Amino acid sequence: MNFHALEHTADIGFRAWGSTFEEMLSNAAMALVAIAMELEDIDPREPYPIAAQGEDRESLLVNWLNEVLYLLDGRRIAPRRVDIQECSETAAGGIAWGEPHTEKHRAKLIVKGVTYHQLKVEPTANGWCCEVYLDI
Amino acid sequence: MELQRIDEWRVRIPRDSARGMRTDVIVYASAGLLEQIRKDLSLEQAMNVATLPGIAGPSLAMPDIHQGYGFPIGGVAATDIQYGVVSPGGVGFDINCGVRLMNTNLTQEDVRPRMKEIVGQVFRDIPCGTGGKGPFDITHQELEQVLMHGAQFAIGKGYGEQRDCEFTEANGCLPGADPQFVSARAKERGRPQLGTVGSGNHFLEIQHVESIHDPEAARAMGLEVGRVVVLLHCGSRGLGHQVCTDFLAEMGPAMKRHGITVPDRQLACVPIQSKEGQAYLSAMRCAANFAWANRQAILHLLRGSLTRLFGKDTRIHLVYDVCHNIAKREEHIVDGVKRDVLVHRKGATRAFPPGHHEIPSAYSRIGQPVFVPGSMGTASWVLAGAEGAMRETFGSVCHGAGRLMSRTAARRGRNAREVQDDLARQGIIARSETRDGILEEIPEAYKDVDEVIRVVTGAGLAKPVARLRPMGVIKG
Repeated sequence: MNFHALEHTADIGFRAWGSTFEEMLSNAAMALVAIAMELEDIDPREPYPIAAQGEDRESLLVNWLNEVLYLLDGRRIAPRRVDIQECSETAAGGIAWGEPHTEKHRAKLIVKGVTYHQLKVEPTANGWCCEVYLDI
Repeated sequence: MELQRIDEWRVRIPRDSARGMRTDVIVYASAGLLEQIRKDLSLEQAMNVATLPGIAGPSLAMPDIHQGYGFPIGGVAATDIQYGVVSPGGVGFDINCGVRLMNTNLTQEDVRPRMKEIVGQVFRDIPCGTGGKGPFDITHQELEQVLMHGAQFAIGKGYGEQRDCEFTEANGCLPGADPQFVSARAKERGRPQLGTVGSGNHFLEIQHVESIHDPEAARAMGLEVGRVVVLLHCGSRGLGHQVCTDFLAEMGPAMKRHGITVPDRQLACVPIQSKEGQAYLSAMRCAANFAWANRQAILHLLRGSLTRLFGKDTRIHLVYDVCHNIAKREEHIVDGVKRDVLVHRKGATRAFPPGHHEIPSAYSRIGQPVFVPGSMGTASWVLAGAEGAMRETFGSVCHGAGRLMSRTAARRGRNAREVQDDLARQGIIARSETRDGILEEIPEAYKDVDEVIRVVTGAGLAKPVARLRPMGVIKG
């Protein structure tokens, strides 16, 4: 696991990390999915393209997670893994591997939105990490 | 942070406390509640709100305030309609999240022995939690009608009575809602979700009236001790969430174009009169209308459930429906001058006083009904708006007990079965789609709702009308 949950009075957040910025983006995507549903129920059998842009790393991360949320709540797709194919400070694209959401998937929570509240994206000694709070 | 106690109910944070504050913060809190409020970032967030361009009057914090995103939950801020800004964060992701109270012709004695059966039936009939799909299959064209006409659409489809709209804030429809400003994604997220409660702190509770505190107001609302009522808390579902997300993304760059800086990116805002501001407000009204249609559709489903259980003579009347996440254009007196303002209510309920032209004539003598849900193990309150709210808080009051404990902390060391058994011993049957739905909403996770009510009624913002006790709880 390359992420863990963070506490907030009413909602929830997560800290995710990776040895590169793109690995961090991929793990942040899974952190969001893990808050919404049980990851182990999901089979990564179908590819779903995913891409986002931003003005800076912060807005890229928020917009990227918004794309994951749209897959989950808008298209009802459960992603299990995200492979990033291209990534810069302001744009990222790749493939989310997963399957359509069905009864076999145990859902935990509905995530309403991704916020800028105390958002952090920063380099660490071993790569990159981020902290994101979600409205639930 | 300098906190100046004004009286037993009010505390001021003066405008010179932090750079950029344009006005004071007024916090409504007793000494005990203030101590709890200071444990998270809610007061800092109320101070950030005080920096918004064009803010009129103080930045207000209700006693149920807790940390939110950008705005605190339990915050009220009015901005000048000509020179002020609109902030999607001041409305929140769940646009027109609100509560409606339904009165029945059933008594506590009628329902208590059958509570398990009732909760089971309602749980089957009304989709809750993460399922996401409601029983109403509406077309794209119908969704456009929902966005423009709100609860009226639902009534037109046969999901209720005309009277229901009269007892809904704004008659269940905000005019000036143009669906072209709602993205295809928002429509896609929302379309299957009409008639669903959602998850998190959303719920439907079967309650009885435990005590009456204002007989005249209670009579007007049809409330008497032992009467069974149903309280519903939900909002605009994925449609509203996506509208907020879409506009937050747009407002970052738009803010730069308008030369606005804010201390927290989640407070992103643009001038009300700008193209972006008007587009947001139109989309927000569409989402608000969706929420009213949603709560109306759920009332229709509930009527079906209770009629199946108790026969065709079962009556379910809407007492009132009021929202607590919204930005509305209203006229208020600020420093002795009548001003046209946009009132942001983020986790705050409109509470208009007796005689106000926007409340139904049945309530014009008593004031607008306000519902303040507590936790699933304690109580909820019915209040009536009072003059004090009009004088001090842009006609607003609290919206709940306010959370005290994080969801992770609430889950820690607890078992859902034990919590359910404990509630059952108090005569409360609780069901949730998920284990965490019960654990995260345990009564201990919330502040004392009675103390919150003591503050808002003591400060003269509202009058207490009735205290309600839960018997059956359906959680998302």
